[in-house]
Amino acid sequence: MQELVLIQPGGRAQEESAGEAAPADARREFEARLAECGPLAYRVARGVLRNSADAEDVAQEALLRAYRSFDRLRDRSRFRAWLVRISFRIAIDRLRSSKRREQRDGEWSRPEHQPPAPTVEDLAVSNQFQVHLDRALEELPEKLRLVLLLAAMEGHSIDEISEIVGASVGTVKSRIFYARKQLAEKLRCHVNISKTR
Amino acid sequence: MPCEHFQDALTEAAATGAEPQGELHAHLKNCAACQAAFEQQQSLFASIDSGMRVVANAEVPASLLPRVRARLDEMAAPLPAWAPKWFVLAGAGAMLAFLFITQTLWRTAIGRNRTESATNATQSWPPAHRPPKEIPDMTTATHPGGVVHHTHADGEKISPENSFLKREAQPEVLVPRDQEVLLVRYGEDWRRRKPAPIVVTDSGDFTLTPLQVAPIQIAELDVKLLAESQSQ
Repeated sequence: MQELVLIQPGGRAQEESAGEAAPADARREFEARLAECGPLAYRVARGVLRNSADAEDVAQEALLRAYRSFDRLRDRSRFRAWLVRISFRIAIDRLRSSKRREQRDGEWSRPEHQPPAPTVEDLAVSNQFQVHLDRALEELPEKLRLVLLLAAMEGHSIDEISEIVGASVGTVKSRIFYARKQLAEKLRCHVNISKTR
Repeated sequence: MPCEHFQDALTEAAATGAEPQGELHAHLKNCAACQAAFEQQQSLFASIDSGMRVVANAEVPASLLPRVRARLDEMAAPLPAWAPKWFVLAGAGAMLAFLFITQTLWRTAIGRNRTESATNATQSWPPAHRPPKEIPDMTTATHPGGVVHHTHADGEKISPENSFLKREAQPEVLVPRDQEVLLVRYGEDWRRRKPAPIVVTDSGDFTLTPLQVAPIQIAELDVKLLAESQSQ
């Protein structure tokens, strides 16, 4: 049976205006989340890369990637978790590629192969213990590292972290515990802790 | 109980931040070394936590969001009206590529035709030996004078001028039989791009004249006998 469709006059114009309005709506919605989630993307990247300039680049890339795929995100309430994962993944990739580049070059004595100069902020936080902590953090497995970073960020409860990483609350607690324990094992030699008899 | 027995429990208590319970609590009360180690462990975890807070709550640069917004504006900005669409550019590119290929093929074909016609004129001479596929409706006849003429199948006789006009792509050169060798040599030189000072005369004006050989002039012989010559 053939189905008849009534086409209203001016329907095409309405469709066109709706087509133009859709990106504008998406942009508006994204903008509303940008101010809230932009810092989160930056901090995740900063926690992985420990360099402000690289972290800013990664956060920008993550936000643009999120914007490009924003239409495909059905559940907009999961935007934070989605953005955190994008940012973390890009930061990890960049860290690995920079490590590979360092290994390939292998000549740290030459000035052009030295890491980028630390910013004022980097210098402020880079006391001796912090340097050791950064190295120990880098050696942590990715899952433990992300959970520990999120737990250390202000305003993140265990439930939120569980939602962001897509794991149960018990798993998140367990990961935080093992992450801290592994860090303590690596850092014990640097704080001169006397062993028990 | 030895202190090593409480080592794991002590670390876990420090890691979780919980107050020691039961046997560990009792041991810590009686063992100053373990109590000191426990406090150091607590201090270590506190340092880790504070260090992690520094790492995780870094100051966000003020330039981040403006940069992102600027990039979003760039992405959202529509193309100007004069900017050609991608499919127009692609179509123009395809058309140019087609024209270029066609022109290249055409030039190649013309060059090949010229080479083939030159080769035919030299290598397959005389024209009577040419395969009939190339000149399907022509027959070849040799006149007593040695000049080769081509005739159409319908009997129309083609003079050299007619033949040239009708088949410009493959020009015919009519030469007498005794100049065939010269023509072959000319053709080879032409293929090697060497100018050859050979002039081929028109077959219409050409008339063969028989060789005029002067008779041998022999003086009269003076014949003498051998015996007479020896006695003299």
